[in-house]
Amino acid sequence: MRARNNGVSRTRLSRRSFLRLAGLGGGAALLSACGGTPQPGPASSGSQAPAGEAPAGESVALSFWTPGGSEEFCRGFDTIAANYKQVNPNVAIGPTQCGTGDDDFNELLLARIAGGNPPDATILWTSPVALGARGALEPLDDLMQSSQNSQVANWPAGVLASCQFQGQTYGLPVTSGSYAVFYNQELFEERGIPADRASFPKTWDELRQLSKEFTRWNNNTLEMAGFVPQFDAVTLTVWSALNGGQFYDSANSRHTLDSEANIAMLQYLLDWLDEEYQGDYNQIASAAGWDMSLDSDGLEPAWQAGRLAVAINGSWAAGDLYQVQPVFEAWNVAPLPVGPGGSTAVSGYWPNWLVIPKGSPQREAAFAYLDYMSVEGVKVWFANIPDLPVNNKVEGDLVMQSVAEKRGEEFARDVTDFFRQQLTVATPMWTSPVQDFANDQIFRAYEQVMSKAASPKDALSEAQQACESQLAQVLRG
Amino acid sequence: MAILATRRVGRGSMRRREAIAGMLFVAPWVIYLLVFIAYPVLAVLYLSFTEYTILEPPRLIGLDNYHRLLTNDPALRIAVGNTIYYALLAVPLRLLLALGLALLMNMRARGIAVYRALFYVPSLVPPVVGAIIFLVLLNPSGPVSGIFTALGLPAPRWFSDPAWSKPALILLYLWPVGVETLVFLAGLKEIPDSLRDAAAIDGAGPWQQFWRVTLPLLTPTILFNLVIGVIYSFQVFDQAIVIGGSNGEPLESTLMVMMHIYRHAFRYFAMGYASALGVVLVLAILALTLLIFGTARRWVHYEADERGA
Repeated sequence: MRARNNGVSRTRLSRRSFLRLAGLGGGAALLSACGGTPQPGPASSGSQAPAGEAPAGESVALSFWTPGGSEEFCRGFDTIAANYKQVNPNVAIGPTQCGTGDDDFNELLLARIAGGNPPDATILWTSPVALGARGALEPLDDLMQSSQNSQVANWPAGVLASCQFQGQTYGLPVTSGSYAVFYNQELFEERGIPADRASFPKTWDELRQLSKEFTRWNNNTLEMAGFVPQFDAVTLTVWSALNGGQFYDSANSRHTLDSEANIAMLQYLLDWLDEEYQGDYNQIASAAGWDMSLDSDGLEPAWQAGRLAVAINGSWAAGDLYQVQPVFEAWNVAPLPVGPGGSTAVSGYWPNWLVIPKGSPQREAAFAYLDYMSVEGVKVWFANIPDLPVNNKVEGDLVMQSVAEKRGEEFARDVTDFFRQQLTVATPMWTSPVQDFANDQIFRAYEQVMSKAASPKDALSEAQQACESQLAQVLRG
Repeated sequence: MAILATRRVGRGSMRRREAIAGMLFVAPWVIYLLVFIAYPVLAVLYLSFTEYTILEPPRLIGLDNYHRLLTNDPALRIAVGNTIYYALLAVPLRLLLALGLALLMNMRARGIAVYRALFYVPSLVPPVVGAIIFLVLLNPSGPVSGIFTALGLPAPRWFSDPAWSKPALILLYLWPVGVETLVFLAGLKEIPDSLRDAAAIDGAGPWQQFWRVTLPLLTPTILFNLVIGVIYSFQVFDQAIVIGGSNGEPLESTLMVMMHIYRHAFRYFAMGYASALGVVLVLAILALTLLIFGTARRWVHYEADERGA
């Protein structure tokens, strides 16, 4: 009997064996899913290739991600990678993994870092300081020091500050938009107002005065506006600096949301709303998208429609604004005006940051690619999308093509130079280790004030307290 | 005796084999329960007492997270308020709508099966897709606004006016009402016609039949749908984040508790704090559920109780 059973068990799969094998198979599948994806090429994190060059002779395969962007933006990186391969034949960079542009990119990146299989390098659209402070990114200082292009001196200090936390640098602000005023020159000329850049208002008071020249109400409907004080958290950070304030003091590792300068700034905006816009934040929003891009409700951008004389935006808007054809031709850009508490005109910026995630299998080779991209690759990048190269070694003769096609080479060159110059006067931003949290709190406080739900002091005090509490947890860790 | 002993040994061995086979069949579910339910629940409970950013090991900080959510999280107050507002309006409205539809579908009419299928279809649509459909429908240039304009009425800015954003979310919640409708329909089918007929013979009109016979006998089904509805409404997430983003735009009017938890976990990388928020949410839902069950004795009619079973 026993012999026969044994014979059966050898030749047929019993139910028990099947279950056992199925369990083992399932477990193996689960483990392989949780484990790291094998990386092609040698794991050379410990290799000692000089920075700025890919390890010579070794075959290296790199992976590169971006949080999102148009197809043109994403495919541009494949061109940069192909160009890089021509000068570094041993380095193969896989097709760029292009995300959706949403928050979930950071989730995915963090999960891959935690799982031990991050990409070799990636672009970030949120502050590297916030991720660096949590141990998610490789510090780059040693690699920068011995690199061809990325030494600290080659980056505008205010912009590089967005990558620095507690003496370490966690990213390269490879390209950036800088902020300025965009204004409709034809509307100015119709009213006999000087429309050249030099004559544009230098202070908030002057801008407020100018704005009234254009603002027109039809009963409770805002038909036309000069400048509408509607901001997001990033623009508010610049606005704070223009009034002599700041939201985060990186030298002392503390937020300063409820400083006198910031309270005065919000009070100023509130007074402006009351004086020129009937004090109703929601009423303004129902009339148009008081901006240069389509709003979430699909309302036409008032600036292009000739219903808004002045808007604040990043340099990318110079390329994007023709996505909705303006009803006018002549527009120009000017520096941001200074607030009553400020003394110097500053700009702001929103970069594309290049970073190497913690645990990147090929740190040196990845950095060599980023170093190349900072000076050579950005030329291809800029030809595709007019994000301004930040590194000082990038040659100065750059022209935004989309602007040149509409307004001519000379104007486009002038605008490009203007925005690059704005980067040199950029106020330090993106320096809080809890930047996303702080941005949400800043915007929340602003909305509370503008919708009359809280006074500037109360709203900012509450935001300050929340930010400091969040910061304490990160710094304590 | 020897034969009996051999049989006993044989039976014992068979029982063991059956027991092992049974355990093997149950094993996938038990493993699932332990790995995907029990472990995460216990992990969340543990993490709620820690500072945890995913990349570094959790660090115990005692009750700090709970202290913070009680004393220093202004957005949480807004999120709780929004969620309660949403639950208080959305759940009763959905129950009423589902009950109404179920009563209509319980009628003997031609093609009723088609209507049943049609009303169930929205329940099959993923919540994100539903939210996008509503974004298109309620857009200022969309068909609903077109109707308002045709009637000479100002079209609400559903998703950019804080006064209209929550009603828009509630409308979206009312759309996939098919599951509750089917549950109500099953409850209605359980009520014997003889009871309504008897009431009719006693002179009860249609309203009295509904009020005195149908509704009391339907209360166990109402209880079931109510509990499920309350649990679901406190966990509203997909629709809210599609419509209002992680900040609950406009003006935090669509910021719900689940979104607040999500952004602390995945936007601010504060997993420990998000876990504490999750624990409190579970406790709040548990308390509400117990409250509903506690009051159920007063208003839920079980036929078995009447029979003294």
